[in-house]
Amino acid sequence: MITLTHFLVVSACIFCIGLYTVIAKRNAIMILVGIELMINAAILNLVAFGKYDKLNYSGQIFALFAIVLAAASVAVGLAIILNVYRHYKTINPDNITDLRD
Amino acid sequence: MNSLLTISPIGASILVVLLPLLAFIIQAVLGKKSTSGIWSLAAISISTLLSGIFVFAQVWNGTALQVDYSWFTIGEKTFNVGILLNNLTVLMQFIVCIIALPVHIYSKAYMKGDAGIHRYWMYLSLFCFAMLGLTISKNLLLMYIFWELVGFASYLLIGFWYTKESAVQANKKAFLMNRIGDLGFLIGIAILFNTFGTLDIVDILGKDGLLYQGIVDQNSGLMTAAGICFFLGAMAKSAQFPLHLWLPDAMEGPTSVSSLIHAATMVAAGVFLLSSIFPLFNGTVLLIIAIIGTITAVTAAIFALAQYDIKKVLAFSTISQLGYMMVAVGIGAWDAGMFHLATHAFFKCLLFLSAGALIHEMAHLKAHNNGDFDPQDLRNMGGLRQYMPKTFVLMTVASLALAGFPLTSGFLSKDAIVISAFEWAMQKGGVHLLIPILLVLVSILTAFYIGRLIFKAFFGKLRVSNLEAPALHEAPKTMLLPMAFLAVCSLFFVFSFNPFSYANSGILNGLAVQYSFTEIHALHTIIPITLTLTALLSWWLGYNWYVKGTYPLQANSSWMRFAQNQFGMNEWMEKTFVAPTLLLGKASYWFDKYLVDGLVNGASYVIRKISEIITWIDKHIVDGIVNAVAQLAYELGNAFRFVQNGRLQNYLGFTLTAVLIGIIYLILR
Repeated sequence: MITLTHFLVVSACIFCIGLYTVIAKRNAIMILVGIELMINAAILNLVAFGKYDKLNYSGQIFALFAIVLAAASVAVGLAIILNVYRHYKTINPDNITDLRD
Repeated sequence: MNSLLTISPIGASILVVLLPLLAFIIQAVLGKKSTSGIWSLAAISISTLLSGIFVFAQVWNGTALQVDYSWFTIGEKTFNVGILLNNLTVLMQFIVCIIALPVHIYSKAYMKGDAGIHRYWMYLSLFCFAMLGLTISKNLLLMYIFWELVGFASYLLIGFWYTKESAVQANKKAFLMNRIGDLGFLIGIAILFNTFGTLDIVDILGKDGLLYQGIVDQNSGLMTAAGICFFLGAMAKSAQFPLHLWLPDAMEGPTSVSSLIHAATMVAAGVFLLSSIFPLFNGTVLLIIAIIGTITAVTAAIFALAQYDIKKVLAFSTISQLGYMMVAVGIGAWDAGMFHLATHAFFKCLLFLSAGALIHEMAHLKAHNNGDFDPQDLRNMGGLRQYMPKTFVLMTVASLALAGFPLTSGFLSKDAIVISAFEWAMQKGGVHLLIPILLVLVSILTAFYIGRLIFKAFFGKLRVSNLEAPALHEAPKTMLLPMAFLAVCSLFFVFSFNPFSYANSGILNGLAVQYSFTEIHALHTIIPITLTLTALLSWWLGYNWYVKGTYPLQANSSWMRFAQNQFGMNEWMEKTFVAPTLLLGKASYWFDKYLVDGLVNGASYVIRKISEIITWIDKHIVDGIVNAVAQLAYELGNAFRFVQNGRLQNYLGFTLTAVLIGIIYLILR
């Protein structure tokens, strides 16, 4: 029997993988992928909690919204990365330290 | 011409004084450009003429003239400066002029070619101005001013060759010793002003002056003190024992200066001062004057015996003769003193000028042969009679006058003093007789030492051997003429038509002093004969000793050296006064340096140290707190600045860490 806890654990695992990817990867694209993973972990939670609202399926609807928004944000993110690449000739975030003091 | 002839004696006498001042100023302005001395010469010539024709001839044996100008007022008292022309002052002024003129002419040749000749004329004119002013001052304060000026001019002239160490020492000595006397003079003036409220000589000492109005008892201690103070002034100026030490040293100046200032005029100023304020002195002071005069006459005559420097012999002779004059003042016969002053001025001036001529020639000889000897030393002279016959004759006349031979002026004046002294001593009796007896002794010594000088310098052979003697020749005419004039004035007829009796001499009659003692007729024959005989005897002795070479004494005996060293008086003075003064000076210096300065420096040191401590506190504690706060903020910022490294992933990581910590906190709570 698959319980809510299993969903939450899987979601947490995906989130952690996404978080790790965001923090550790040396490529902006991969970071974007990590973000996508973390969003998806959140969406998985939404879907899992949607079990308690069988009338309106609000969880799943929210998930759909979130997927659309994630897609939009990825588009924006990619555009930014493209511009960054044009400007810095690299997309390694370690080399882009203009926010330094 | 008529208007010139009617010039008043007062105006003329002022002119006489001011002309040398004018020459002094002109010479000072012209400086090195004017070396001929024509201004000084012209000034003193005109002064002499004016003094002779319009002052001396008008006032002598006439009525005394006086004039006052108010000078300044302090409170109620008005100080007057005035001119007093009576027999005494016009005589003195005329003597100064008539001596100064030949010396000026002589100097033209004697000082020729000297590098500092412009200064010489300047100083000489300054001296003439001061000396002439001194003679006719009516006010003691004015006289004191001139008195100081004379001393100053003398100081300048003694140190004329200022590159010579001995000259510098000598003028310092003269100046300091004269200061002692000047101080006495000043205190005397203060006492008189305090007592009488005026310093006018006529007002105090005139016929019905304040002195006779019973303001103060003449025998009181105060008046004695005043008299002694004035005498102290005269002692220093007239080189009386024990303040005579500066005069022999003053011979460092040019010889013409020695003749004018340190033989004829300035040193006689003391005698003149005492004569002009004579009524002031009471019996005690007069006795002191006579005693000091006698001591001076005796000691100086003894010193003169053993000197080898020709100028030193003459210097001691001057001191000795000044002692005579002092004795004359002391016994109340100040007219005899002035008489001797007048005659002495001529023959002593001549002696110096002749000595100057000898030194001049000896120096030439030295320069000609590149010799190395002292041109002033009698031991190097000898036989100069052959080379300088005219100088020999002139100097012999002067020496005879000094020794008091008949037909000379010295005979008259010296007899006047010695006879008066005897009469005075007879009156007083007892120990007082010692004074005239010592005077006779001095007279014999005088004849001997001046004879020695003549024999050593002019007889025998030139003692500096293997030199080319023909370099010696007679002095130039400009030197001989003034000397000849002075030689004529050293003879009897200038002063008295009777060569054997001073009683009819013009000066004594003109001054006409009432003696306190009775005349003793026998003395007037005995004394001149005794003096002449003893003088002759001592010349004969000197001739035998020095010319024939039968010198019986050990030249280096301790007595001779003792006399030559002036009985060690210089050394004694050095030890007694100079050394303690120097010690006091050094002690004061030490006190000043270590105590006064030390106190100031110590205070400043302490304050500096305190301020250093405060600075330290300010820097390390006050500033330290502020800086520490700033440093803390800085360090804190610095510690976390690595956070701001611009890497977004790091930022995220930090955020995550913070969130995790928060979560852990929430869990563990």
